[in-house]
Amino acid sequence: MYRRRFLQSAALLSGGTLCSPLLPAFGSSGVSVDGLPKLKGNLTLYLGRGEGGLYENVIKAIEERNPDLELGIRRGPTAALANAIVAEHQAGVERADLFWAVDAGAIGMVSEAVNPRDLPGDLTGQLKDGFRYSSWTPVTGRVRTVPFNPQRVGAGEIPSDIVALTNIDKRVGWAPAYASFQSFVTAMRILRGDDATGSWLQGMDRIARRYAGELGVVMGVERGEVDLGFANHYYTLRLKAGKPDARVGLAFTDNDAGCLVNASGIVAINGSELAQNFVRYLLTKEVQSYLSREAFEIPMIADAPAPPGLEALASVQPPRIDLTQLADLRPTLDLMRDAGVL
Amino acid sequence: MRRAAVYLLALCAAALAVAPLIVLALLAEDFASVFDSRNLTLLFNTLLLAALTAAGSVLIGVPLAVITAFVALPGRRVWLALLASPLAIPSYLGAFTIYAAFGPGGEIEGLSGLTTPAFQGLIGSAIIMALYTFPFVLLTTRAALLNQDRSLILAARTLGIPLHEALLRVALPRAGRGIAAGALLAALYAISDFGTPSIMNFDTFTRLIYVEYNAYGLSQAALFSLQLMALVGLVLFLESQVGAVRERPGEALLIFPSRAAVLALLASVLPILMFAIVLPLGVFALWLAREGAASFDVAIAWNSTYASLLAAAGAAALAIPVALVAQKGFLGKTLERLCYFGFGIPGIVMGTALVYLGLRLPMLYQTLALLVLAYLMRFLPLAIGATRAALDKLDNSTMNAARILGANPGEVFRRVTLPLTTRGIIAGAALVFLEAMRELPATLLLAPTGFETLATYLWRVYEAGYFGRAAIPGLLLVLLSIAGLVMALAGEADRDRMSTSGPQGATA
Repeated sequence: MYRRRFLQSAALLSGGTLCSPLLPAFGSSGVSVDGLPKLKGNLTLYLGRGEGGLYENVIKAIEERNPDLELGIRRGPTAALANAIVAEHQAGVERADLFWAVDAGAIGMVSEAVNPRDLPGDLTGQLKDGFRYSSWTPVTGRVRTVPFNPQRVGAGEIPSDIVALTNIDKRVGWAPAYASFQSFVTAMRILRGDDATGSWLQGMDRIARRYAGELGVVMGVERGEVDLGFANHYYTLRLKAGKPDARVGLAFTDNDAGCLVNASGIVAINGSELAQNFVRYLLTKEVQSYLSREAFEIPMIADAPAPPGLEALASVQPPRIDLTQLADLRPTLDLMRDAGVL
Repeated sequence: MRRAAVYLLALCAAALAVAPLIVLALLAEDFASVFDSRNLTLLFNTLLLAALTAAGSVLIGVPLAVITAFVALPGRRVWLALLASPLAIPSYLGAFTIYAAFGPGGEIEGLSGLTTPAFQGLIGSAIIMALYTFPFVLLTTRAALLNQDRSLILAARTLGIPLHEALLRVALPRAGRGIAAGALLAALYAISDFGTPSIMNFDTFTRLIYVEYNAYGLSQAALFSLQLMALVGLVLFLESQVGAVRERPGEALLIFPSRAAVLALLASVLPILMFAIVLPLGVFALWLAREGAASFDVAIAWNSTYASLLAAAGAAALAIPVALVAQKGFLGKTLERLCYFGFGIPGIVMGTALVYLGLRLPMLYQTLALLVLAYLMRFLPLAIGATRAALDKLDNSTMNAARILGANPGEVFRRVTLPLTTRGIIAGAALVFLEAMRELPATLLLAPTGFETLATYLWRVYEAGYFGRAAIPGLLLVLLSIAGLVMALAGEADRDRMSTSGPQGATA
């Protein structure tokens, strides 16, 4: 189980793991923690729900490296913390220095509301092209994929256009209540308009089976309950890590919402140098390679390789989209409810 | 003068309870459309779930109430405590473990190879809710049954009516108020609970509120919460219409069953306990065995206990004036009803409303004081209910006698009323303690930064997927809740004794 493994990898920023055999793959890309200024003083971090254990390990490692850092952590559901930060800002009672969340939409809403100081160019410059934002920092990425069961569908049978999937004579698994799926529908709305998205949802609904989450979708594909599905890439990779002979492959659509690359991110709300330096730690090659290795997330720093098992990503052409626009979720939910899929 | 002070305190409590509603109204103001066809489906679903839960809890709770009240079982107290213990398990834990145990690929299949049907949808939600709310019906019905003098049933028996028919036609109709009160509590719980329907994938108001909330539709979520409040208001109104029946004091019925009957009764009770208690604890034990115990910081348990104790003490203190004024007059009754609203606001919405409220008082924001205040707003009704029940039992003539003997009202309260209601007050405080221990959404939003409680810790390890680490705090939460429950039941026992011990006359 991958869970077990990240229990054992706590001291990721300490000297020992720096020489981990996986690091050379990262090559010269990324800054090392050794080159970063020590963090001193008080910081309050609002940590949205997400890859709980892994993010906790990263934070613990940063604290161990910086004994003079007094880090207060408030954990909660992403949306609840985002709402709280906006309310705090409106009341002029700012308590959060940093907001780290898995959902770019929440990040977008917060950075729009609090309008933080622009990040320095040498920080944003570390990121992949297309993911450089002046007010927030993407930390790791995830790409939308089409997991399929190779015993039931040939990789060649899966159309590269997400719209064409409604015509396929297969059973499809999806998780409409899951936030990442909703972000994907929002992206489709932005790229194709509401009407086309609405009829796509209705078309899919005829052949789709509903799951509560996307790990469920991938497991359903593997068990053969459905032939293919929609899910973030890492669920398939994590399943395969625990069960190497799992009957599931990964396909990508081409240049549409079906292969959207979304990101988790962090906002330095008060724009202090200390908060910005904390962000720098998350972009070090140690943290980036750790999250890539353990959670199969896509590193966001320039020139970093894709996580193990996702080498095909290099040939995928994701749509260009401003991730902060994904915060516009309400019309998406209305559309999904009108189509009867939510 | 003193009277004014009591009313002033009650007014404060009511204002405290209504404050979140005002915040909700302000938040909802931004949103235009008030009601559409989708709401109708939700309204229907929510009412259906409430009705089925109430019916299920009556089906389970009433027979158990008859058994625990009238049948001389060996170890009656133990049985009562065991049967009430589902109250100590948050229903979301129950729903989660039942969900994990049943169905294809569930823990039961993994252990025995038998495929069991999955619990889901309306029926799954209603069954689980009924399993965790029937103790409300059990306790209220039992109290009503114990108040009845046995002579009527004995008269029916001498007129040739068999025992079961006498119970059905003579005892139960007179316990109607108790049954209705318990069923309404169960319905209220079903309406406002979020965890169970969402785990069972059933659409109710609370689930929609959650979806909107997560889509940053705060104003819409607030509006839906207000609509939910209207439902809560309806249930409270119904409850107020259930009139009190004063029973003539006397001795309660006691049935001595044969050995076979005892065994049959136990056999019928066991499946319920298996489902509601043994199964969740078993799943926890299984996870503990599978993933191993990790180190657990005892400070977390202390944090939970400390905050909950403060809330319990505060609730007990505030409940007294409210219960006192609720005994007479329209104003007093209205103040009492207002205090009940906090109970029906979904936790996450209440948490957010209190963030807005707390930000008006920045010195309180993210302090322990505000967290305790939040617990008070949500759970004060429990303390008021128990305190009122104890006050209602008091015989006015005792107080009048004290007045005739020269005590002023303050002295009567201090030396007569208060000592006689202490148990009830403690029982109410214990219920508040129980709920505060397991409160999650408001705690996440309002606690001081870094202040971890058992519930927030459980949430965090569950999120991270470390089920094994959930076992110790989960079991601790249940154990501490059981301690609270025992205190609450001790108060209950005292009320039983007062109401059944001879002719102390309730003729006022």
